[in-house]
Amino acid sequence: MSTAVQSHDPHPAVEPSYLVSKRGLMSWLVTVDHKRLGLMYLASVMFFFLIAGILAIALRTELFTPDQDFMSAQTYNQVFTLHGAIMVFLFIIPSVPAALGNFLLPLMLGAKDVAFPRLNLLSFYVYSVAAVFLIVAILTSGLDTGWTFYTPYSTSTGTAVITATTGVFIAGFSSILTGLNFVVTVHKMRAPGMNWNRMPLFVWAIYSTAVIQVLATPVLAITLLLLIIERSLGIGIFDPAMGGDPVLFQHFFWFYSHPAVYIMILPGFGIISEIITVHSRKHIFGYKAIALSSVAIAVISFVVWGHHLFVSGQSELAGVLFSFLTFAVGVPTAIKVFSWVATLYKGSIQYNTACWYGMAFLWTFTVGGLTGLPLSTLAIDVHLHDTYFVVAHFHYVMVGGTVVAFIGGLHHWWPKMTGKMFNETAGKIGCLLVFIGFNVTFMTQFFLGHQGMPRRYYAYLPEYQTMHQVSTIGSWILAAGLLWTLIYLLHSLFKGEKAPSNPWGGVTLEWATQSPPIEHNFHETPHVHGSPYDFPEIDKSAGGHH
Amino acid sequence: MAKVFLNGQPVEHAHEVHEHISPMSTYNAVIGALFVLTGLTFAVSFADLGPASLTVAMLVAFIKASLVVAYFMHLKYDDKYHLFVFLGTIIFVGIFFGFTMFDMKSRDALNDEQETFVRWKEQENAGKGLAVGVDNVPERRAKVLAEIEAHGGGHGGGHGGGEHKAEAKAEHKAAAH
Amino acid sequence: MSNEHAHAPAHDDDEHNPHLAHHFDTMGQQTASAKLGMWLFLATEILMFSGLFLAYFILRMLYPEMVLEAHEHLSKWAGGINTVVLLTSSYTMALGVRSIQLGDVKKLRLMLVLTILCGCIFMVVKYFEYSAKFEHGMLPGKYYSAHLHGYEIDGLPHIFFGVYFMMTGLHGIHVAIGLAIMLWMFVRAGRGEFGAKNYVAIENTGLYWHLVDLIWIFLFPLLYLVK
Repeated sequence: MSTAVQSHDPHPAVEPSYLVSKRGLMSWLVTVDHKRLGLMYLASVMFFFLIAGILAIALRTELFTPDQDFMSAQTYNQVFTLHGAIMVFLFIIPSVPAALGNFLLPLMLGAKDVAFPRLNLLSFYVYSVAAVFLIVAILTSGLDTGWTFYTPYSTSTGTAVITATTGVFIAGFSSILTGLNFVVTVHKMRAPGMNWNRMPLFVWAIYSTAVIQVLATPVLAITLLLLIIERSLGIGIFDPAMGGDPVLFQHFFWFYSHPAVYIMILPGFGIISEIITVHSRKHIFGYKAIALSSVAIAVISFVVWGHHLFVSGQSELAGVLFSFLTFAVGVPTAIKVFSWVATLYKGSIQYNTACWYGMAFLWTFTVGGLTGLPLSTLAIDVHLHDTYFVVAHFHYVMVGGTVVAFIGGLHHWWPKMTGKMFNETAGKIGCLLVFIGFNVTFMTQFFLGHQGMPRRYYAYLPEYQTMHQVSTIGSWILAAGLLWTLIYLLHSLFKGEKAPSNPWGGVTLEWATQSPPIEHNFHETPHVHGSPYDFPEIDKSAGGHH
Repeated sequence: MAKVFLNGQPVEHAHEVHEHISPMSTYNAVIGALFVLTGLTFAVSFADLGPASLTVAMLVAFIKASLVVAYFMHLKYDDKYHLFVFLGTIIFVGIFFGFTMFDMKSRDALNDEQETFVRWKEQENAGKGLAVGVDNVPERRAKVLAEIEAHGGGHGGGHGGGEHKAEAKAEHKAAAH
Repeated sequence: MSNEHAHAPAHDDDEHNPHLAHHFDTMGQQTASAKLGMWLFLATEILMFSGLFLAYFILRMLYPEMVLEAHEHLSKWAGGINTVVLLTSSYTMALGVRSIQLGDVKKLRLMLVLTILCGCIFMVVKYFEYSAKFEHGMLPGKYYSAHLHGYEIDGLPHIFFGVYFMMTGLHGIHVAIGLAIMLWMFVRAGRGEFGAKNYVAIENTGLYWHLVDLIWIFLFPLLYLVK
């Protein structure tokens, strides 16, 4: 094994980075290196983010006027379904864990790789097969059920439900394998001296996420399998016309999909914990509280799914119970937000792009989180259910939370991943555009929803037009910001300055190796002696210490 | 390598495999017990225990499963974290079952409420006045009343129970053939 | 690499063990990782099957009489024989793991053959059971036609047979996969890949097979026996 010999190289300074240690297309396609797989995931999720983003812009543009413009009702149904399904299953769920998590988890733990590198590669190809199924579904007869596949509509519509759900079913396995891999990695691959109290908070977040992936996703698999069988053989477990219960489908579906919401947001929390503490150069406030609140959110996420069924014919008693339990999610979430703010307090904040995204997150996520409270209140939800209020709420959490954190994390670790620095001014312009565009798009939707605008309508009453137009213009600004970000990041790959090993002065282990890292991550196995957030004196310039 | 680490902690005898090896007698005893329990549950199924039969069958199944998990799968001697994973999984299955069953069971109360509404209508017809108010929206109440009237006042408006579904199915079949 | 260091002291050969992957430090770490990974995988299997069990319980709740009547048409004897067969296979599998713990590859291969044999008997019984159901028109969902074959079951038996085929079918697929894995293990054992200090693959195969058995332990009384 030539690589094994390389890692014993007596002159580590000349060792090539993981990007160039092996060459050729095949070396990428069959790689088991977690960093390369992280990049491959990154490219894939970005591709689907772009596709689903274009669909979103098309939806918003259609809604510019109250009447039908260029989409029929049927087309509109298909477009919002594909927007949702691709965003959820092919972008957000794999985004942070599979792309950034894959890249960073072993680095942060001081390991050479994840516990099962070949499984990691398999997981990527499983994800690719899932994507192919979803694309085939789009190209054949589309999908118009909404990303939730509610029965009995999904068992009776003429669109490609079976192809699409097979794709999601397969994507679920990719998610399970990644989660399983990460749980074992965190348990068994930690560097000497790294006990549970010395793990970076991003690792804690990814760990909690992985636990949910392992525990919840199998139920999605069986739900979709039942749906496929229901549609093909008509066993009648979900179809009321055959004697089944459609609300049962919703129980099955949300037992996975509510925890899945935390699969999407928990890794975002982890990124923000890292960004906030590194860029304020201050020890994180409430390390244990943040770490354990991730685990608490993971557990609580399993007992709140009924708030999606408040108006579905669920019993009132169950509704009251789920409403109460849903409020409980607010406690660990608030602990995190307060701890981040307390970390910023009196920190020596470096106002660079990643930090800007961190602060943007604090605003957008807080709005998203707080608007969850009226929705979890049983009585108020009856009014707000299936209106734009819900749309605005989950976009504030998913886009304002996860996507903003993801882009922030991308900027934070871009020098480590690519070895190149991006232009800070360009980054700040991008962040500003994204922040303004996002808030203009979705803040208006809270008001729209509160006034009764239902979601998933391609045409609407003229009274709503002004706010719909504001929202659409906002979406264009948001799209411009994201495109701008894509352009300067790609530009930095070719023209960017060479990145130092530790541009921001972070103390977690990934900054202790070169940028980009060598194939086996570290020249020698690192030994951990203290907290990942003990920053040295501020006046020592960043990057000068290992 | 001078010092070996596992889980971030130094390990004393990392190179020694110290797996527990159970004696043959343990395996023989376990399989014997499993056969006896299978026979028991099989025999009991012929006796008419009524509603208790589910409890008895599940109890026996749990004992059998515990034997397999503890001795065949070595969980009794294994890393305690594996036991934690296993029991944790069972707890999450419990959550899944618990809440869903709770909703399905308590939905009957909702149906009862509809029944109450029907009974109230009957009482009103008999000139006894408004006993229980179920629906506070006048238009909606009027609509439900009209429906009840249309169905002859006996049933309707309520959530379809098992028999209603059976009827629907019968109609469905008739239409199909 | 292992040849170069053949003279290394026996207790320190981990670093150069041909079975040790590059990213692990010790065999202990590698084995512990593989086993934890397997237990997590079993957790996912349990949760996946739990959905079907829940569907069964809900069905019982909605249509108690129909379930009781329909389940009388399942063969208690076929189910009972399969239970005994599967329990026996679990026993032989456990003995296989014990053999390799003691370093006895020959006995391990014998035990794997016996386990595979039991698995095959299970599938054959299942085949006869299924073909009887097919013949009587007791098929899932919209293909249900038992009433045309002279079997009148009140209520909505097509749901019961849908759930029956889903549960036993998914379980049967797991048995088939298990058989394939054991065959592979049999071949690998023949190549001398396992020994008293390197048998985690056998152990994990055993864990998987016992889980298949566990699921049947609950499937059998629920579908075939319970009144």
